[in-house]
Amino acid sequence: MVAFNKADIRLYVLSYDSHKAIANFSKTHKITFTMLSDPDSKVIKDFGILNTLIPEDAHPWFGIPFPGAYIVNNEGIITEKIFENIHHARPGPEQLLAAAQGERFSVEPTLSPTEDVDVDVAFHGDSLPTGITREIVATIRVPEGKHIYSEPVPEGLVAASIELDNNPGIVAYTPIQPKTSPLTLTGSDTTLQVYKGNTILRLPVAQNGQLIEKTAEGNFVTVSGKVHWQTCDDKECDLPESVDFEFHIKVGALITPELSWDLFKLVTDISNKKPHQKVILVVAYQAFRISKLYKKLVQDH
Amino acid sequence: MSVKADQRGSEIKPSEFSDAHGYIAPIPNGTGPRSNPIGNFPTGPEIGEPLPDVVALNKNGELIDLHTDRKGMNAVLVFTRSAVW
Repeated sequence: MVAFNKADIRLYVLSYDSHKAIANFSKTHKITFTMLSDPDSKVIKDFGILNTLIPEDAHPWFGIPFPGAYIVNNEGIITEKIFENIHHARPGPEQLLAAAQGERFSVEPTLSPTEDVDVDVAFHGDSLPTGITREIVATIRVPEGKHIYSEPVPEGLVAASIELDNNPGIVAYTPIQPKTSPLTLTGSDTTLQVYKGNTILRLPVAQNGQLIEKTAEGNFVTVSGKVHWQTCDDKECDLPESVDFEFHIKVGALITPELSWDLFKLVTDISNKKPHQKVILVVAYQAFRISKLYKKLVQDH
Repeated sequence: MSVKADQRGSEIKPSEFSDAHGYIAPIPNGTGPRSNPIGNFPTGPEIGEPLPDVVALNKNGELIDLHTDRKGMNAVLVFTRSAVW
């Protein structure tokens, strides 16, 4: 949050919760950004992003949005949007801040013609809690007079991309790529999309909690893969190249709402007719949490 | 736009359902709070358009107009599920 303030960027988080619910969350977690309450989902409906997969009578789920984020400049114009199909993870603060600062596609001056392609791969953030996306950032410095390709490419050429190793614990989100320039190949009608100069590719990733490595130093996940590219000039192409990356990242703690999955587990345990005694124990353990949901139901009606 | 629910996934044991991305939760994917879209879904106003008016309550129950409140500063507006569950 300090970083947002330093950059003169206001952060708002809107949900359909009552203002009392956000006051409670705000106090419990010492929130310093502005939480907004839209109890009738009016703003959510005005934006046209109400989650219409949930029927109107499905209380308390009805009224939530398809979650996402808008980045707005000082004139109030939307400069970027972040919406994903996979709702388990939300964009991390680093992602939002980078987007708001217009850094996601920034390109530094190009190198001199004699230099080779140079690639840096970094993980943007210091942890990867289940439920937060953070980005792998590959900076590919392309020398002047050369280019690399963006998807789609014809057979025989390799597009620049970040590819994760097969790891069922890591989930890749939509890659973020800079604007391309069109390039028509000499002696053909084929136009390809290319990157010139320094090119930054970003791949948001999350971890689903399935492959956490527990060590004496804490819990970690490994995110590994390759960055691929192929450099060409107007006449010829170099061989495709790739560089490996591997990050061991601390899982870290996540701020979650109080009810979370525990309540759903209880509900399904009961519906699955688990042994009666167990249900009573779970009910006792969960009583306080259920009272919170009950309070919400009462407030909403 | 017709939005379809992502119902891919399987019950890996009683009360534990995995979705297509390996996330495990106690209810089947595609129902209740796990109603995620597959394919296209509405994402509201587009890049380059003005952000529509956002008037909502703050934690003290006072109405806030986002555009007035941001005082000409850049802003990030996150739409999220719930701070309760």
